[in-house]
Amino acid sequence: TAAAPRPWRLFGAMCLLRLPRITQPLAKEEEEMAALMGQIELEKSHYSDHEIRKLEEEEQLRRRKESAYDDDEGPGKTVIMAQDLEDKWEQKLLQFEAAPRITDADKNNNRTSLNRKLDSNLMLLVKQKIGNQELWLLPQVEWQPGETLRSTAERAMAMFLGDHVQAKVLGNAPYGIYKYKFPRAIRTEDNVGAKVFFFKAFLQSSDLSQAELKEDYLWVTKDELGDYLKSEYLKKVNRFLLD
Amino acid sequence: PMSVSPHALRSFFFSSSWLPQTVLSRGSHWQTSLLAFRASLPMRAQPKKKKKVDVKREQAQKDRMKKKIKKLEKAAPEMIPIEDFITPVKYSDSNRVRSLPPLSFEETERRVLLMKKWCLFKQKQDKAEKKAIQTLVEAQQEALKELRLESEELYQAAIRRDEELFPFERDGPNYTPPLPGYDPPEGKCVDITKVYTQ
Repeated sequence: TAAAPRPWRLFGAMCLLRLPRITQPLAKEEEEMAALMGQIELEKSHYSDHEIRKLEEEEQLRRRKESAYDDDEGPGKTVIMAQDLEDKWEQKLLQFEAAPRITDADKNNNRTSLNRKLDSNLMLLVKQKIGNQELWLLPQVEWQPGETLRSTAERAMAMFLGDHVQAKVLGNAPYGIYKYKFPRAIRTEDNVGAKVFFFKAFLQSSDLSQAELKEDYLWVTKDELGDYLKSEYLKKVNRFLLD
Repeated sequence: PMSVSPHALRSFFFSSSWLPQTVLSRGSHWQTSLLAFRASLPMRAQPKKKKKVDVKREQAQKDRMKKKIKKLEKAAPEMIPIEDFITPVKYSDSNRVRSLPPLSFEETERRVLLMKKWCLFKQKQDKAEKKAIQTLVEAQQEALKELRLESEELYQAAIRRDEELFPFERDGPNYTPPLPGYDPPEGKCVDITKVYTQ
């Protein structure tokens, strides 16, 4: 049976998230608490083998100095002191250089690279033409009969990033919806407006060198979304983003 | 059917060694005289007794072993010791106790106040998390409601369970990002954990 043509057009949009790679910096209370916990642990603990060895060697050194270099050990033996071991370990630590937490892309504020803001979620935004306007949106594509909304969203993602993107879509159900009516000029009986259903996915592979990004794209955090998205759209998107 | 006469005859014959002609060809060593009753079965009482007693004794031993095994199995299995909860004896020496100056009044006050601040901080954090999850669920419910208004078929497809989602694994964030071209030092890891069987 021919169903009555619905006045709303359906779109499926994909919110692709790159999950954080490093831990977020601790808040002031968290740092104070961590220090306090360390102190309490130290107070309640007993001496370890290494510490006892260190204390004994310090005692021996003191006694030797007081009794005017009374060598009862014998000059032939070279004993490795615990203090020497500690110094050696310290040196080894200083020689190691870890990768920086604030990358070059952060310093240049290059919003197109994936290597920025490693401690927060990054979302993909693309510039799309809606009607006669160029807008920054989460990648969306119109729904075609015969496919589920989730596959519409996956198609949108593949359209902008190519087929080789490994993303884990979180379930079959949409996370949010943005409903809008077309401006009166193009509104008809059958075509009142559009409903955009948002889906969420986690980016699995970290390199997108194979991705063929045709249009302008950006990777932004939740706070930076406000610079690009329209207010109504932003309100709806913010509801299903945790940060 | 045991006949006594050949037995008596045989013993009589054996005791008198001055009859050589009786030691001519015999079928078997049980057949002492050709004319005497041929005893096909070894007819001494002793071997039969041994056999019975043997069999009985062996059976009795087997039963005893089985009973012992059953008793052991019925007894409760031995508890596997949790190695973390047993402090080794060498750590209870008195010289191991740390000697630190006692805490001052200001220090204890500072600690108590910090604990209270932490309590409040954690409460706020928890409430914010719960609120965020609540808005998430509400947004999803709204989306599903709108979808249902649109088409029942798409709605049914949306609320279907996604089988490939779980088990979901992910490595957690570290303190620093991975260093490109880092060569970790070589070494072998030998696992010395004790494995107990019940």
